[in-house]
Amino acid sequence: MKINLEIIESAYVYAPNEIEELNTKELVPKMITRRRLTRAAKMAIYLADKVSFVNGRIVYGSSFGELGVTANILHSIQAQESISPTHFQNSVYNTAVSYLSMLNDNNNEIMTISSGDNTSLNILKSGAIKSLDGDTLLLLATETLNIDKIEDINSCIDVLECGVALKVRFTEEEATIDYEDISNGVKTPKSLDHMLNIAKNLHMDKSNIIEVIL
Amino acid sequence: MKIKHRVFVTATSSISCAGDNNKTLFTNVCNGNSGIKQDKNYFFEATPAIGKLRSSKTFYDELLCQCQNILNQSKLEDFHDTLLIIGSSVGGMMTTEDIFFETQNYKNINPDFHNINAIANIINKRFNFYDNISFSTACTSSANAIGYAHEVLSKGIYKNALVVGVDSLSKTTVGGFLTLGVLSSQPCKPFDVSRDGMNVSEAIACLLLESEPSKNAVEVCGVGYSSDAYHMTHPHPDGKGAVSAMSKALMSASLKSGQIDYINAHGTGTIANDNAEANAITALFPHKPYVSSTKSITGHTLGAAGALEAIISCMIIQEQKFPQNTFLNIPENMNINLPLVSLDSKIEYVLSNSFAFGGNNCSLVFGKVK
Repeated sequence: MKINLEIIESAYVYAPNEIEELNTKELVPKMITRRRLTRAAKMAIYLADKVSFVNGRIVYGSSFGELGVTANILHSIQAQESISPTHFQNSVYNTAVSYLSMLNDNNNEIMTISSGDNTSLNILKSGAIKSLDGDTLLLLATETLNIDKIEDINSCIDVLECGVALKVRFTEEEATIDYEDISNGVKTPKSLDHMLNIAKNLHMDKSNIIEVIL
Repeated sequence: MKIKHRVFVTATSSISCAGDNNKTLFTNVCNGNSGIKQDKNYFFEATPAIGKLRSSKTFYDELLCQCQNILNQSKLEDFHDTLLIIGSSVGGMMTTEDIFFETQNYKNINPDFHNINAIANIINKRFNFYDNISFSTACTSSANAIGYAHEVLSKGIYKNALVVGVDSLSKTTVGGFLTLGVLSSQPCKPFDVSRDGMNVSEAIACLLLESEPSKNAVEVCGVGYSSDAYHMTHPHPDGKGAVSAMSKALMSASLKSGQIDYINAHGTGTIANDNAEANAITALFPHKPYVSSTKSITGHTLGAAGALEAIISCMIIQEQKFPQNTFLNIPENMNINLPLVSLDSKIEYVLSNSFAFGGNNCSLVFGKVK
């Protein structure tokens, strides 16, 4: 089965280690909230703003979730120290979109997918199926792999922070773009590649429609 | 989109601290035999009451066993037409901890067996599925997985789906909830005025969903989702998110609230959750259907809870008997109907609640096949 999605708006951001400017101070004026945000949450808030998405259903995904706080918790246990409550509450995979929902007072269905290297492909599939209901959805994916000693397990990714957002809706029109890899040798996390390649392939002057095969 | 197909639970299998099969699980939740025990092996000197599997097999061998049980019960020859849908909050964390605490570095950790997708990777090594997807929304993970199965089958996208709700205990989980101060040192007492917290547990719960009913099938009538947009760990005190999820589930099932005979509450035993959930149920169900939490028997199995309690909900409909609120003495909220003994009763529709960190809510409605 195939479902076509119109990409209404898109945004992406990445950096070898840490993305410097996510405009967090302006987007999250309350310092008490801002201080609790994870890197993925800051990226989610930045990307949602870039595609002008405030309220509606979201399909989010990450292969490794909140790796930074997960690592901090492991080190605390190893050192026989107590775990930070903020780290623990931020360790769940749906943390980033939960903060986004609080910021935008978004009470809608918000899903979090984690399917390894197929994470962004599965976000597209799930988003395509949900789009049949007729609403506009935000598809969002992040990876935040910039932790101390990541080189112990990472030898294939150049980009340790990466995020992509697609604002989409169902269409019956023919596909106009594909998943063509235009990474230009930059090794981004495979988990984000499907959505990232779509975001990079968008035409500025015509409609952008992708075919999602289920 | 107009719904094309009805969706049925046609086979189930589970293992938890409350039993290594569904029959034992249901007998124990109805008779009040708790699987929760104090354990001092997870977090330094602390002795929280938690729920561990009792099995001679490894956790992942049990996982494969549960999937095989589904295949044996079903009419399927294999899973080549089946969508595998995982719901888990920790994935392969148990494996990661074992390696990290032994070697004190990340070098031997295989990323494919660390993350949530580790569960699908393990299952896919044994069985060949049409496709797979994993949901991780903390304690609603497998409820959302069932919701997704309902969606893709009712829209006619896939032929059948195997939902696997799974979470194993880890030092991170036990230590994390201890840090939040919400773990009890006794089996929990959901909705009791003197409740003092929850019990974290592990479980594997599998449900096969198909578009055609089989003998003893139970219908998945509706699903409702919502987000609190309120706090990372605390629900809105009035249970606004819970009201929204339950209302949407009723709407999805084309039912009125008065048609619900029994509610399997999320009922963790924490002050905040039970208060909010009781307020939500009071607001939405003036006819006072029976409400109970089975977590005093199974513990809170986190990402597996939605699937495990979906199995209990299906058995309530199959057996026409709902379980008691074990360890409940004095209800805090007198406006909800909390039975102290299990009762045989005519039960057409059951609603099952799951709520999670981040204010993620999912309510499922199950019904007798008509």
